Amino acid sequence: MRNLLNFFIKYGAWFIFFIYVILSCIILFTYNSYHSSIYFTSANVISSSVYSLSSEVTGYFNLREINKDLEANNARLENEVLNLKYQLAEYHTLNSDSLDRENSEIPRYDYVAATVINNNVRHPRNYFSINRGSKDGIRSGQGVVDHNGVIGIVNVTGPHTSRVISLLNEDQHFSVKIKNTDYIGSLVWKGGDPGVAYMEEVPRHTKYHVGDTVVTSGYSLSFPADIPIGTVMNRIKGADDNFFIIKVKLNPDFKTLSTVRVIKDNFKESLDSLSRYDLPSGLRN
Amino acid sequence: MTNTFIRYIFLFLICIVVQALIFNKIVLFHVAVPIVFIYFIIRLPIDIKLPYLFTLSFLLGLIIDIFSDTPGVNALACTLISAIRTPIYYAYMAKDDITSRLVPGVSTMGLLEYSKYLITFILIYCLLAFSIEYFSFADVKAIVILTASSTLFTFVILLAIDCLIPVKA
Repeated sequence: MRNLLNFFIKYGAWFIFFIYVILSCIILFTYNSYHSSIYFTSANVISSSVYSLSSEVTGYFNLREINKDLEANNARLENEVLNLKYQLAEYHTLNSDSLDRENSEIPRYDYVAATVINNNVRHPRNYFSINRGSKDGIRSGQGVVDHNGVIGIVNVTGPHTSRVISLLNEDQHFSVKIKNTDYIGSLVWKGGDPGVAYMEEVPRHTKYHVGDTVVTSGYSLSFPADIPIGTVMNRIKGADDNFFIIKVKLNPDFKTLSTVRVIKDNFKESLDSLSRYDLPSGLRN
Repeated sequence: MTNTFIRYIFLFLICIVVQALIFNKIVLFHVAVPIVFIYFIIRLPIDIKLPYLFTLSFLLGLIIDIFSDTPGVNALACTLISAIRTPIYYAYMAKDDITSRLVPGVSTMGLLEYSKYLITFILIYCLLAFSIEYFSFADVKAIVILTASSTLFTFVILLAIDCLIPVKA
């Protein structure tokens, strides 16, 4: 017994060392990024308040560029609104009685504006935090866009903050297509340059041109169709002869994310409940 | 004693805040990443008791992980590097009573010896951290490039910081 005690006293430090190593390994391996708690992420109370404080200052950086982007976007939208108004007016004159119902319908998508308080682009799996949480109606799985296009999907939410899986995350795939076509692919980032991602599983017969816009396909519940993501750069041969990979230049500048919008799908719950019936009864949850 | 203690707590907090708010945002040429917070482990006195060394390193890594959303990566790397810190130090310094009570730094070790200690320490840390983070040998090329460039970048920054802040014995 005395020997055992001496042994512990002599090598006690190394027991502590191994406990820490095992603890780190547990955190490293069992931490599931999809069902994790908020406490171990940068969206927890302490780190998010530190980041909010710093973004109070750094939020003013790059405002000139962001403003320029927003102005361009605003001009485009104004143009579109005018066109649509004109079309609607024409439509009204054609059949004036059937359109009254239109206004009473609930819009499918709502947007919640949020500010990025902490952002990373240097890891293979990047995340960023926003200053809106479950009290603002943010739920896990909702899509996040900025004025340039898709930037991520909400991962975990706290009451006032949420962590978002960035598009720059090797594990996250996005269902995309080439604009105005039906060629679907899966967009994934592979590390390195934060301005380039890869559209995988593109069928060999796909027709495209360099500079074509890549948009969301609308097949996932996170994003409506036709939100821009990037433009086609060039083609890379895939591992399989029947598919190839398209290199995509991403529209959003991930280094200077500031104001973003979270997309709330008002039909999501009913769509989720529908898809539940597809599963055999044993798998329902 | 108390003075030193407070100074180290201060350094601990500064390292975390500076890493999280400034250096986490910097990436040179898509490969070079500054890992500045390990300066705290580098600057702990050589004769610190091992349990304290391990605990402080683990906590430092864990907090950095929480701030940069890399669960477990830095906690594991910090704990591992803290175990081989003393051997790295004695690889370049003669083992006697005077050296064992020192705080590693330019003014106590001399520029050449300190640089060797610093670059070995950073190199091993980068190798550990990137291997754990990428965790696949398919990425060996990426790990090597990241490690080499980040080691150089971090070394320059840390040496500059060390020359700016002189050690008070």
